[in-house]
Amino acid sequence: MRIDRLWLTDFRGYRSAEAGFGPGLTAIVGANGEGKTNLLEAVGYLATLGSFRGAPTEALVRAGADRAVVRGEGVRDGRTLLLEAEIAPGGRSRAQVNRQPLRRARDLLGAVRVTVFSPDDLALVKAGPGERRRYLDDVLVAVHPRNDELRAEVERVLRQRNALLKQAGGRVTAEIEMTLDVWDAKLTTAGEALADARRALVERLAPSLANAYAEVARRGVAVEATYAPPWRAEGLAAALVAARRDELRRGVSLVGPHRDELDLRVEGLPARTHVSQGEQRSLALALRLAAHRVVADVTGSPPVLLLDDVFSELDPDRSDALLAHLPSGQTLLSTAGSLPAGAHPEQVLRVKAGTVIADAG
Amino acid sequence: MGVYAGPVQDLIDELGRLPGVGPKSAQRIAFHLLKVAKEDALRLSHSIAEARDRVAWCQRCFNVSEGDLCGICTDDRRDATVVCVVEEPRDLVAVEKTQEFRGRYHVLQGAISPIEGIGPDQLRVKELLGRLDGEGVTEVILCTNPNIEGEATAMYIGRLVKPLGVRVTRIASGLPVGGDLEYADELTLGRALEGRRDVD
Repeated sequence: MRIDRLWLTDFRGYRSAEAGFGPGLTAIVGANGEGKTNLLEAVGYLATLGSFRGAPTEALVRAGADRAVVRGEGVRDGRTLLLEAEIAPGGRSRAQVNRQPLRRARDLLGAVRVTVFSPDDLALVKAGPGERRRYLDDVLVAVHPRNDELRAEVERVLRQRNALLKQAGGRVTAEIEMTLDVWDAKLTTAGEALADARRALVERLAPSLANAYAEVARRGVAVEATYAPPWRAEGLAAALVAARRDELRRGVSLVGPHRDELDLRVEGLPARTHVSQGEQRSLALALRLAAHRVVADVTGSPPVLLLDDVFSELDPDRSDALLAHLPSGQTLLSTAGSLPAGAHPEQVLRVKAGTVIADAG
Repeated sequence: MGVYAGPVQDLIDELGRLPGVGPKSAQRIAFHLLKVAKEDALRLSHSIAEARDRVAWCQRCFNVSEGDLCGICTDDRRDATVVCVVEEPRDLVAVEKTQEFRGRYHVLQGAISPIEGIGPDQLRVKELLGRLDGEGVTEVILCTNPNIEGEATAMYIGRLVKPLGVRVTRIASGLPVGGDLEYADELTLGRALEGRRDVD
């Protein structure tokens, strides 16, 4: 899978821009704040209908415009693909594939996939469990768009359930108990399905992660990833019954997939708290690489790699190791400084004040 | 803060409170009403007043009604033993159009949604339970929307009604008739597979 051309209208700082990418490595260079990352963000939008920087949709539309359009032309399985997404904050976002409008914009998911490396990736290891759950769920959606609906359903049920727990204000009436029973049943079905999907994914990721870590850190150490919901043995339904009094007292859902943790260990030690920052950085890179390989494996074609200014954060050893082990396929790399020695781009794009110029040659 | 003269802004604000009408549409409708002939505009206000004066909720099923009971509840050809439970009067209209259902209805006037502050008490659930005995109901068809809130509402009512010895059914969800399998979304197709039936 690859994206050959990208057109932007009123996206971020771009009024109107066009960019061509090579089938292998394309480097996007320019000073900070000129819009390098926004090019990658636009490619990412076609894949996930969201910003990999977690920006709200309003932020993606140029100030003064009421909608933005991202168009990408690429090739998948030997066929040309024209993807178009219109971003309309407050309105309905629309998308089409090969000029055919999609019934829902979400149906665009899966048409193109990306793996994003960003300087913030360290948070995957260092920050709270929410980051790691999001990582797992993003990979699940990349593996199969159906998982997006599952994730949305769990979120919606939790919002309803939390609203009810809050309204109860600690009171336990027969009616509240009965309404809670219904939301428990909904959370159990959707929550167990999501947790099962995450568990199966982690089993698949774990060997890939150990390999990737050895490549990046250049030494073989034991790296483990486990997803073991504490409620698994008794089942979510029973766990919710056991937690009910606590949940009513605190007014929030305390048990379920929204509280689970992806446990990461290096040589048996918890990665979040017990290993060096250098090891954490290697582990974060390895998590991305492992996800990339699993998605490529399951879907049969490697996602487009987006490397957002990652080399500024890495020491030369890790930069070289990453470049040496980047899976073959299309890679778009942005950098404010010079390119690492091991990088040999076939296409260089210079970004300045909302314009994109390709280097001759 | 409105930028228009008092009465114009009042009109825009009122229109903006209607469901599905945003500030821009409200402004467009307001100026349309000021531009058309006066009697055309007043016809709208008259219709609103008339509807509010003459239409109330059916005492039995909570459909819209001109009298104490709605047209369906007073029609003695309808089968009183089967009750179809819907969220809104417009859902009732949708089921009526099928001409497949000859029983009576019960309009809940919403679905359970704690986010919007709607619990069973805000819905016509107690009234439904009250009808079961008096009308000799033998089957309750749960016809709420196939979304999270509608499913939760159906489950809630099912758990209340079933212990009373009344048959409780849920409408099937699946493929649209005349559609193509290849264009069906996965969730719907998955549900359709789940709800498959033996061929006679």
